[in-house]
Amino acid sequence: MNYLDSLKNYLRLDFTVKDEFVREIRGHLEDKIRELREDGMSEEEANATAIKFLGSPRILAQQIYEVYSQGSWQETLFAVLPHFLTASLFALRWWSNPLWLGLIVAGVIATVIYGWCHGKPTWLFSWLGYLLIPVVAAGVMLLYLPGDWAWVAALFYVPLAIFILVLVARQILKIDWLFVSLMMIPIPIVLGWVMVLSTSDIFLGSERVHEAASWIAFSFALLALSVATFIRVRQRWLKAGALLVCATMVLAVMALISNNALSLWAWLLLSLLALSHLFVPALLERGMRGKVTPDS
Amino acid sequence: MNYGRELLKGSTDSLLLCLINNQPLYGYQIIKELGEKSNGYFQFKEGTLYPALHRLEKTGLIKGKWQKLPSGQERRYYYITEKGQKALNERLAVWRGFAEAVNLIMLPTM
Repeated sequence: MNYLDSLKNYLRLDFTVKDEFVREIRGHLEDKIRELREDGMSEEEANATAIKFLGSPRILAQQIYEVYSQGSWQETLFAVLPHFLTASLFALRWWSNPLWLGLIVAGVIATVIYGWCHGKPTWLFSWLGYLLIPVVAAGVMLLYLPGDWAWVAALFYVPLAIFILVLVARQILKIDWLFVSLMMIPIPIVLGWVMVLSTSDIFLGSERVHEAASWIAFSFALLALSVATFIRVRQRWLKAGALLVCATMVLAVMALISNNALSLWAWLLLSLLALSHLFVPALLERGMRGKVTPDS
Repeated sequence: MNYGRELLKGSTDSLLLCLINNQPLYGYQIIKELGEKSNGYFQFKEGTLYPALHRLEKTGLIKGKWQKLPSGQERRYYYITEKGQKALNERLAVWRGFAEAVNLIMLPTM
């Protein structure tokens, strides 16, 4: 049934809930069509009438989304935990302690594997973003290689990094593009800090990081707050808004402490990155889902 | 908004809980039962029923379970939970008090 394809296309739910709901609506349509046929309608008329009674698949999908889109407080706690851990790492000046760093990396890997194998709950995407940071960070590090090696390495590494990111994002896009944005949001923040801190030719572990640590911690605490809002609100536009406000505020914090260290182009690049973590997944999802006919 | 629709909106959950409390039902049956038991007064918009049922299920007041019909087709029956029964009893008590008070003012001769 075309209606069910449209409904499936609009539904942004966990696969199990999605399939069960579509199955339930299929049953409803079968019953309704049977009843209308018994009343003397042709099959075509009965189909059209049953669909009309059920209403727009887009509105039905939106209403059911709002039932399931609000995470519990427990889910909220799990989702904000990686951001609070990162904030603590800087607030308590533990970023250069290999023990704490190692424990957190091991914790992130274990949590991501557990979440990925247990139905990909919403909180997983917060953690997954941190697992992808080393992929991006390694690419940034390559730019600091001496001479032309930086360009050679970048030439090979950047497509590979993009390939890995797209591969992971494609899997998550099948559920909801907002989860890709939730996953990606630490990436522009981390890149932004790397750019701001590296302008004085001093990289991580240096005095400059030490000076900025409170601000870095503050930006990750902001991120945690935005993610908590993302999990608790029901409407999609509020979820997207929470992420956008967070990215804007963190950029403002960076601008405040960087003392005009970054060029206008660098700021443009950062702003573009901050915006693209929302718009690129949305556009990609549109492309992926666009093949199915809307409201029918 | 139409006054009747506004009243129905506020009472949807209680009506659904009440019907499911009488016997486990699936979505299509609920719509038919609502129409029949209210002599056609409640013409529930079909698309709004399922979000309401899933909302009640998410809050733990009802539980959905797939069951086979004699025809071999499967339907998702909704059962009331213990929490749902408790909530229904509370709502019935509130409703009785409310209806009585409204009648005393709006229909004093009854």
